[in-house]
Amino acid sequence: MQKPPVLTVVLGVFAALLAIVPLGYLVLRLAEGIEAASAELARPRTFELLSNTVLLVVSVSLTALVVGVIQAWFVVRTNLSYPGFYAVVATVPLAIPSYVLALGYVSIFPWFSGFWASWLVLTMATAPYVFLAVSAALLRVDIAAEEVGRSLGLSRLQVFLKITWPQVRTSATAAVLLVSLYVLSEFGAIALLRFDTFTRAIYNAYRSSFDRTAAASLALVLVALTLVIVLLERRYRGDYLMQRPANPRRLKQDLGKLQTPVTLLLALFGLLGAGLPMAALLNWTMIGSSATDLGKLFAATLSSAGIALLAAIVVSIFALAVSIWVVLHKNKLGSFIEGLLWSNHALPAIVVGLALVFFGANVTPWIYQSIWLLMIAYLILFLPNGLAAMSTPLAQVPKGLTEVSQSLGQSYRKSLTKVILPIASPGLIAAAALVMLTVLKELPATLLLRPTGVETLATRLWSATEELAYAQAAPFALVLVIIAGLPALALNASVRKTYAEVNEE
Amino acid sequence: MSLLALTGITKNFGEGNVLKGISLEVQEDELVAILGSSGAGKSTLLRLIAGFEKPDQGEIVFDGNVVAGESFLPAEKRKIGIVPQDGALFPHLNVYDNIGFGIAKDPNKDSRIQQLLKLIELEGLEKRKPQELSGGQLQRVALARALAPKPKLVLLDEPFGALDAELRDRLRNDVRRIIHAEGVSAILVTHDQEEALSLADRVAVLREGRIIQVGTPTEIYNSPADIGIATFLGESVLIDGKVTEGKVATDLGKLTALNQVVEGQSGVVAIRSENFYLQPNQTGDSEVVGRVFFGHDAVVEVQTPTLKIKARSNGPFAPEVGMKVTVWVRGAVNFYPTK
Repeated sequence: MQKPPVLTVVLGVFAALLAIVPLGYLVLRLAEGIEAASAELARPRTFELLSNTVLLVVSVSLTALVVGVIQAWFVVRTNLSYPGFYAVVATVPLAIPSYVLALGYVSIFPWFSGFWASWLVLTMATAPYVFLAVSAALLRVDIAAEEVGRSLGLSRLQVFLKITWPQVRTSATAAVLLVSLYVLSEFGAIALLRFDTFTRAIYNAYRSSFDRTAAASLALVLVALTLVIVLLERRYRGDYLMQRPANPRRLKQDLGKLQTPVTLLLALFGLLGAGLPMAALLNWTMIGSSATDLGKLFAATLSSAGIALLAAIVVSIFALAVSIWVVLHKNKLGSFIEGLLWSNHALPAIVVGLALVFFGANVTPWIYQSIWLLMIAYLILFLPNGLAAMSTPLAQVPKGLTEVSQSLGQSYRKSLTKVILPIASPGLIAAAALVMLTVLKELPATLLLRPTGVETLATRLWSATEELAYAQAAPFALVLVIIAGLPALALNASVRKTYAEVNEE
Repeated sequence: MSLLALTGITKNFGEGNVLKGISLEVQEDELVAILGSSGAGKSTLLRLIAGFEKPDQGEIVFDGNVVAGESFLPAEKRKIGIVPQDGALFPHLNVYDNIGFGIAKDPNKDSRIQQLLKLIELEGLEKRKPQELSGGQLQRVALARALAPKPKLVLLDEPFGALDAELRDRLRNDVRRIIHAEGVSAILVTHDQEEALSLADRVAVLREGRIIQVGTPTEIYNSPADIGIATFLGESVLIDGKVTEGKVATDLGKLTALNQVVEGQSGVVAIRSENFYLQPNQTGDSEVVGRVFFGHDAVVEVQTPTLKIKARSNGPFAPEVGMKVTVWVRGAVNFYPTK
């Protein structure tokens, strides 16, 4: 096989170094002050945080599973009217950053805070992941196997438990683990709803004292928790790849009298996950429209867009380089680098932000408080997304084309730029756009690392909510959903696939 | 009394496709093939028998009980085995658990599974997952799974469709052997006439939602009920003819009709392509204009003064292109009067 182009190797290795240095630095510094760190962790407060975090992760995972499975089952496997509409309803919370969702609730019910509030908001925010995974799996279940089950004497419930569920279980488990990771690293919504978990405690410790040992040691506990779930997740990811049966038949259970109650239930989920909070924000925006500082809004939108565009370019360059390396020239070093970069996919943004603050202040003061440190944070956080999104279109280019091009006299490099990249470009551009939209919504790392004086939509929204000024926060939240959330939802490949499959008859 | 009796089954299965008054009986220990092209309603008929759908009209009696009509017995209560098109093994279970699925509470479960594994000649593969089996193995496991609870009837839905020709032949024999060893009745749905003729005790021909003819393979092949079946089942050459003096006068001479004929009637005779005999004859009035050689036989295209016919001829002795021949028709033919 052809050797990978030098540039891809250089960029890949550089990205890998960037990816490990900050966290490594955090560990080293803590190891030096191990006594202070362990004293910090031995406080009863740590156990309280741990139990709060675990409680929230477990309860949200369970309820998101229940909500997502219910939505998927009714949309895919029953004669529900307008299944396509309810598929949209089930995925729309993906377009709303969870801190915006939380803000919507708080703005209606000022008392809305603590465990139950966080539980509700995060359940609604994460149920779409379960819905997408489970409905994809349900669409691939072989109906003929279910019929065989019934011919062998099983009731409908037994068929579901013994034949359908085992085929869906793997996808559902993977989705639940994804949800757990989401909840573990969630910062904005939990902080807004004032429930003490690790992420909120890390931020408060960082803000309130000059001794950063506390924040750093809590961050490491959070990383350890994350690691546990990542290891679990690895066991379930792609356990067996289910093929769609050659002749997929849809068997839809007749809802009969249940049609109305089921419709109401699904509508209720939609109301809780998007309708109610978004209506509240819309209302606040209208009420406060005279007070809205359009100049501020415009400036924040502009700087958000600028930062996100720059980040998308940076992340895409590295993601494309590493993807070319591992997809077209797979070798051991490439696979190692890819694994290393991918291992960051679950790293909570608050931890990355904190580690880079330390690293920037102590080791690289010349980029501290500059846009470039923020870019490094985005690179660490979103390179895994970029890799996943960019390797697919590259892998889909038929293998023989480069060889044909070379046999027609083009150099390898020319074949790459004239054949492979043009063919893959729609997918690559979509991937870059997705990275940009994801960056727009990022809060914790932006909060810690933005250059002094720079305000984005997310940080403006954050400071307004800290002052309980909902009317001020609402327009920022709305703009964020409109320019980042909805386009990201429209670009999301698994969302599009689900809509298409649910609507095909 | 028959094991299964369908009477006047009507079912609209969408897009204008309808089963129109199907009546059919299946006896104990009998293998019946339902033969029809795609869209004829074969699979719908099977699903009605299995209990996955209710007929619009008509009655199904199985094993002495009405299962559809006055009352309805759902699939899980009927104890009718099914083998779907591509096997549809449970992907999360191994071979052993797939076969044992329907007999979980049977105290003799293990010995029954072993017995079936032996019958399908897959001993030693108990632990394999469906993904690790070949197409033929999948189908045999699916058959064993259906047979495990000892149903009186199994339904086979195009079970050999996805397999290549050689494997299909082998599996056909296996299925016949296994079904007879178990002493179970079976209904096989297929669009492959060779499969229906070679495997079944009786064949029912389904066309446009109706059963056109039921009979043993020999009956159906030798006396097709109409021109459609004559051309669908095997190759037939159709020639105009008129009944004169008890025989059918055609361009190939006076032929004896197998069926009752009325003097003066005009119609069409269907001649099986293997029933032509081509006699090399330098002064013959017909000429070989085409020849496709298959080894064991050959299809020879012959131009007579008035007709072009395709004859199947013993391979090694098939006449070459350009040879003059005389065309003879062996045996009696079927005559279909014009309506």
